[in-house]
Amino acid sequence: MYEDIPVTEKPTQIVMEEITDPEELAKARAQRARFDRNTAWLQAHAAEVYPRYRGKCICIAGEELFVAETPEEVLALAQSAHPDDDGFFLHYIPREKLARIYAN
Amino acid sequence: MQINGEWLVCDDGVVRPVIRGEVLATNGAWVPVPFLLDTGADRTVFSVAILTALSPHALSASERLSGLGGSVRTVSLETRGRFSHEESRKVAFRGAYAAITDLEALDMSVLGRDITNLFAVVVDRPGNVVCLLGQRHQYMIVQR
Repeated sequence: MYEDIPVTEKPTQIVMEEITDPEELAKARAQRARFDRNTAWLQAHAAEVYPRYRGKCICIAGEELFVAETPEEVLALAQSAHPDDDGFFLHYIPREKLARIYAN
Repeated sequence: MQINGEWLVCDDGVVRPVIRGEVLATNGAWVPVPFLLDTGADRTVFSVAILTALSPHALSASERLSGLGGSVRTVSLETRGRFSHEESRKVAFRGAYAAITDLEALDMSVLGRDITNLFAVVVDRPGNVVCLLGQRHQYMIVQR
């Protein structure tokens, strides 16, 4: 199912594997299509969603917005309404709108 | 191998380079994850929201990660992330990843150099290109 590709670069301990199982690939493509649709929905509604829900967790599923205080709550709402949508877009909107430096 | 990303509008209206993938949860489901492509990040790190969706049974305390605001506590989990590459194929990266435990510390999961060092990374805003290139794929710089 997986073909290991040796990775020698240190200090990472990551192993890269090509996924070759046709059934898994088909499922992955279908999930990705749903993820694409939910991402596109959020991008199209970004100007209204982000300012309104600062400090909240959001989840887009079935091209519908769900909002809650915690990731657990918003996931439960989204999965209850769209149990078959495994391409949800889950995100926390920071309280403050600040320039960011992410490097860790 | 070419893994394509995109420029996405974030909560502050800033457009940032993102590569979307999936990460394997404890229950065997793949959780969709938008990763900020951060060439300065040493490690790939999951946000709290994504950590919650992965619902890991076993977490171990990990090293602290530092950034501009100081250091933050993290946990470590063994899992697999996967990404689409050309011809709708998928490649997975198996290993130990860090996750943040403070919701405000990191809003978006970060794709760091533990993975991106395996590729040439193209982050080209004027050209509207975000991608990772490896194996038989290369890029060329030309002067017009």
